[in-house]
Amino acid sequence: MDEFNDNEIGKLLRLKRYEQPPPGYFENFLHEFHRRQRDELLREPLWRILLERTQDFIFRLDVRSLTSYPAAIAAVLVCAAVISLKIYQEPGTANVAALQSGPALSTAVNADGEWTLASPATTRIFRAQPLRSLNESADTHRAAIPPRYVLDSVPVSYESTFKF
Amino acid sequence: MNPSIALPARRISDLLSSGLGARAKSKREAMEQPKTDEDQQLVARTQSGDAAAFDQLVIKYTPRLYGLVYNMTSNHEDTNDLLQDIFSKAYKAIRGFRGKSSFYTWIHSIAVNMTLNFLKKRGRRFHLSLDDVDASIQNDKEFLELTATSSPVREADLSELQRRLNEAMMKLSDEHRAVVTMFHIQGMPHSEISKILRVSEGTVRSRLFYANRQLQNYLDEFRKNPVG
Repeated sequence: MDEFNDNEIGKLLRLKRYEQPPPGYFENFLHEFHRRQRDELLREPLWRILLERTQDFIFRLDVRSLTSYPAAIAAVLVCAAVISLKIYQEPGTANVAALQSGPALSTAVNADGEWTLASPATTRIFRAQPLRSLNESADTHRAAIPPRYVLDSVPVSYESTFKF
Repeated sequence: MNPSIALPARRISDLLSSGLGARAKSKREAMEQPKTDEDQQLVARTQSGDAAAFDQLVIKYTPRLYGLVYNMTSNHEDTNDLLQDIFSKAYKAIRGFRGKSSFYTWIHSIAVNMTLNFLKKRGRRFHLSLDDVDASIQNDKEFLELTATSSPVREADLSELQRRLNEAMMKLSDEHRAVVTMFHIQGMPHSEISKILRVSEGTVRSRLFYANRQLQNYLDEFRKNPVG
């Protein structure tokens, strides 16, 4: 025979089936697979594990009806994301800033004027600012309007009162 | 010579005359496509959280996928790592498996794609790390025919034959080697290969044709000088 034809090449290559891994390799493969899975699980970050568990949970519940409301799901996800962002913000930073800037009143708003979830015991803190400055009080007396004084519910002014 | 080859460098004719070994197990039977309905049940159980069902799939498909990956990489250690990664990926992705193809096709697609990606990264930096040749080869009908009709095969020793075949395979491109492995070694039909590779059957046949021509050229030297 002068050269290998296609048929002979096929036969030769089929002999490669007889190349086999060491004895016991296939028996141990599953144990090795489990061991690697455990190692992989230990190295995974917590958020990914939680995500996978959630996916498993949803899959097992077979929540197919929810898929017909993509907008609702999207809204829930967005809300969850916003809330989680707020929760993971550094607690108290904004409140400390507000307290340092001056005296505070007991009803509380943080520096941005928003509610905080940092601590359930935190009360609303008013933005520390003077109630009214001198300039502002001066502005109340407009030049165009003459001053009016009220004494004992009887209006007193420079204007003549209407009398019957 | 690779130290992992356990069989001594004996002439094939000696092996034939020695009459060693029990009756060879039918390798072709082992290569047949498993029943898909059984796979579907195991997949469904895995999807519902039964990890033991996936273990059964691992046990079932490990020998087949080992052959596929090993013959594409020609390295036992790489094959072992890749096989672990393939099953790990399959386990993570099995929730998304909707049964549009059989599990057989699906898992083979993962295996071929991951192996091709690995081979691209590995490039030409590799060494042959070959498995032992099972002694039952001497009872293989095709092997007997080859040794009876082909003088190079008869004159070579088993490890030399193995080395030549693997070297010839590694000279093929990765895509050609994948097709040759699936068709010649694993005995898959063209249609199944085309599904796994997501190419047309014509492409599969074309790749096979060119791969055979290349193998003929590479093995021609072996024909001229069988003992290396």
